[in-house]
Amino acid sequence: MAESHLLELDDISKYYGNIIALKGVSTSVNAGEVTCVLGDNGAGKSTFIKTLAGVHQQSEGTIRMNGEEVTFDSPRDALDHGIATVYQDLAMVPLMSVWRNFFLGAEPTKGFGPFTWIDKAKAKQIAKDEMAKMGIDIRDTEQPVGTLSGGERQSVAIARAGYFGAKVLILDEPTSALGVKQSGVVLKRIVEARNAGLAVIFITHNPRHAYPVGNRFLILNRGHSMGSFAKHEISIDELTQLMAGGAELQALEHELEAAGTISHDDLTTPD
Amino acid sequence: MSDTTATAAPPSDERLAYRGVFQRLFIRPEIGAMIGAVGIWVFFWAVSIPFGTANGASGILDTASILGIMAVAVSVLMVGGEFDLSSGANTGAMGMLVILLSKEAGEFGGAGLTLWVAVPLSLVVALGIGFFNGWMVERTKLPSFIVTLGTFFVLRGAKLGFSKLIVDQIQVGDIRDAHGYDFWYAIFASEWDRTTHQLEARDAIYTVAVLGGIALIVLALYEMQFERRRDAMKSAGMIEFAIGLGVTVAGIVTLHVTDDIAGNVLGAAIIAVGSLVGLHGYATWRFEPIHDRGSLVLAPDVLRLIGIGVGSLVLAYLAAIIWDSDNADNFFFPFTYQGFRATLMMVFGGAGFTVLAVAANRARRDGHLARSAIGLLMGLLTAVVAFVVRAQSESVKFRAEAFSVLLAIALMIVVWAVLGSLFEERIRTNARADKLGGRLIAGGLVMIAIGMFFKLMFTIQAEIDADIAPAKFSMRNFWFIVFTVVMVWVLGNTRFGSWTFAVGGNKEAARQVGVPAARTKTQLFMLVSGAAWLVGMLLAFRLNTIQANTGNGLEFDYIIAAVVGGTLLTGGYGTALGGAIGALIVAMGTLGIPFARWNSDWRFLFLGVILLLAVVANRSIRTRAESLRR
Repeated sequence: MAESHLLELDDISKYYGNIIALKGVSTSVNAGEVTCVLGDNGAGKSTFIKTLAGVHQQSEGTIRMNGEEVTFDSPRDALDHGIATVYQDLAMVPLMSVWRNFFLGAEPTKGFGPFTWIDKAKAKQIAKDEMAKMGIDIRDTEQPVGTLSGGERQSVAIARAGYFGAKVLILDEPTSALGVKQSGVVLKRIVEARNAGLAVIFITHNPRHAYPVGNRFLILNRGHSMGSFAKHEISIDELTQLMAGGAELQALEHELEAAGTISHDDLTTPD
Repeated sequence: MSDTTATAAPPSDERLAYRGVFQRLFIRPEIGAMIGAVGIWVFFWAVSIPFGTANGASGILDTASILGIMAVAVSVLMVGGEFDLSSGANTGAMGMLVILLSKEAGEFGGAGLTLWVAVPLSLVVALGIGFFNGWMVERTKLPSFIVTLGTFFVLRGAKLGFSKLIVDQIQVGDIRDAHGYDFWYAIFASEWDRTTHQLEARDAIYTVAVLGGIALIVLALYEMQFERRRDAMKSAGMIEFAIGLGVTVAGIVTLHVTDDIAGNVLGAAIIAVGSLVGLHGYATWRFEPIHDRGSLVLAPDVLRLIGIGVGSLVLAYLAAIIWDSDNADNFFFPFTYQGFRATLMMVFGGAGFTVLAVAANRARRDGHLARSAIGLLMGLLTAVVAFVVRAQSESVKFRAEAFSVLLAIALMIVVWAVLGSLFEERIRTNARADKLGGRLIAGGLVMIAIGMFFKLMFTIQAEIDADIAPAKFSMRNFWFIVFTVVMVWVLGNTRFGSWTFAVGGNKEAARQVGVPAARTKTQLFMLVSGAAWLVGMLLAFRLNTIQANTGNGLEFDYIIAAVVGGTLLTGGYGTALGGAIGALIVAMGTLGIPFARWNSDWRFLFLGVILLLAVVANRSIRTRAESLRR
């Protein structure tokens, strides 16, 4: 892979004082691909995305965008480079309407000088259209976001990132708090965003969500990279084992299998 | 990846129940405050003599304006998730500052500036104080309660200290001698004396505007309630509508020119027939008729409710008859007879009508006729109350005003009940009809406001002859209205408004999507101190001298007004208009208590009760705001 990737991370490390949160992580992200970052709790996933989102800077290593070295000084800076992050707790205000949330911080305005006001009709129409593109028919964009389901909220956030010209979309645990059906909705959005030409970074601790949509998998464990694999290089079982540090989970799995609690099929991809 | 495309978002409309017109209107945050304001107005109107006169209204507006400018600003700040305890002391501080800046140096030790410099300069100082508050809150990340408590004490101490240091008194004056006084007096304190502005056409304008406004609102409710015709509009209904309108006007004229019971009954009957015909025509023209009306059989539980409701109303009648007196000196502790009677009537009457409304709602499942029958009963009972009041009351005020209002309410209930069994209620959303309804309501409210304006601002010869108490309206009323309108617009239509909701609702989320949270919050504090400057100017030019303790402690009144107006204590939800209405409620309590000849010390009890009710209501507001669309 000699050509330059959209985003390339080389040997990224992050220390908090003497605590090593992230050590020597490398991967690449391409447009129209989904890169999954997998890891158990405390594996360094949050540190990894915060570095990419500009919340803090890496202690060592380089980030290259289209082959050029970049540093993200602030979330705004990362956003200006086209890196949009949809956090687990969602950057949304539940009591505000869908369209206000959609355009929050970047409202289209009319008027001139000090007398500018929000172009409500335009904002509502765009929000409705963009949501429709995501396959969600919003009844009324005046609805407070708090009335939407978890999956719909994720969809609003993803549609918003896409509309505001994101090239890289980082999704932090978008499915962790959702039920089976809602998770399916969100996974569908991820595929749609990818098909629209975005590079998606999908952070999860659930390999069964990651494997069906991912093109590339970066596995983290206790701050260390367990490797970055293309889809054809790895099976879902290997993925699961690597996530938990391999041997430990295998032992657990054998124990559970012996006890008859789970069958091997439980760990494979659902259709 | 075809395996993930199988799960599509389910159509969510089926999970969303349709809401009727009243349910839709009632989710606005200021509605609770509006109903409260009307209830409190009615109560004080019934128990006190000056309430409901132009003189009383000017007094209430005067108090409400000073309070309301601050309450509106504080509401906006609270929507942004912060408090400002220095806001009350700040008003007095700004009034004092402008006087000290403009005093001759020799006389009082002031700076001796012209008001052309002193007024803008004090605004700059005010904005500086607001900036400091915002900067401290943002820098220290401490709760604004603590930070502004500090600013409050600084201002309080500075006011007392500087006035003692410079003039050796606990008050400073006079601003009257300052250079440029006349111009700035005109801006901040000039008055409109009602007794010198005569307009004989006033009552005609008032009647037409208010009745027209009510008619528009009634039509709006119908537009929002009923299903549009599925086939073409039936223009024959328009003719019926026009005839009914003509008959109604004739009835109103009859009611207006007659003064005996028989004439009033005749007028009321003509109005009833006219409006029934008119609205039936309107509905025939636009709405889909019902084909299955259901049966008139009432279920036992509904009958029981009707019994309770009617029983409660009978008690209200008894109270109305037994304690009838026009003598305000007849005390029945702690109320006057009037007050005691009004309280009993409101409690029993309100309970009776609520129970009947519940019964009507339950009867709906048995069919349209059953529900309409109960509605008809409610309307007729209201009409009976109206005529009991008309015939029995010794009080002229009750006989004239309460009679016509009750009669109008009775009429609306009857017509609503009759048409409810003839035309189909809407059961799905219709954005176009709702938009039309919203515009009609807005138009109706504007017309009513115009009518009230003429009634309050002008006098007629008969009033001059009767030598009624004079009423004055000053620039503070004007600034209150202007400030409220501007803030309602800013909060709803600008980026700053959107960001205010965002930083109050979820500050971290707002920051993540690029809202300048610290700047927005600082601007909010500057808005409040700017409002405090405006109030300081209004006070200084009205009172001529400012006491060192002016405004101290009023910050809680502002917060009470904001909360009463439906603003969430936790931030993220509320309106500027709610703050203005909350200020009216607080002002009505403040003045209504002495008007009703009670000791004004009861004021705090009133405020406390109002606040407790509002805080309890606040919780349900939050739940509704989160679960319903606006």
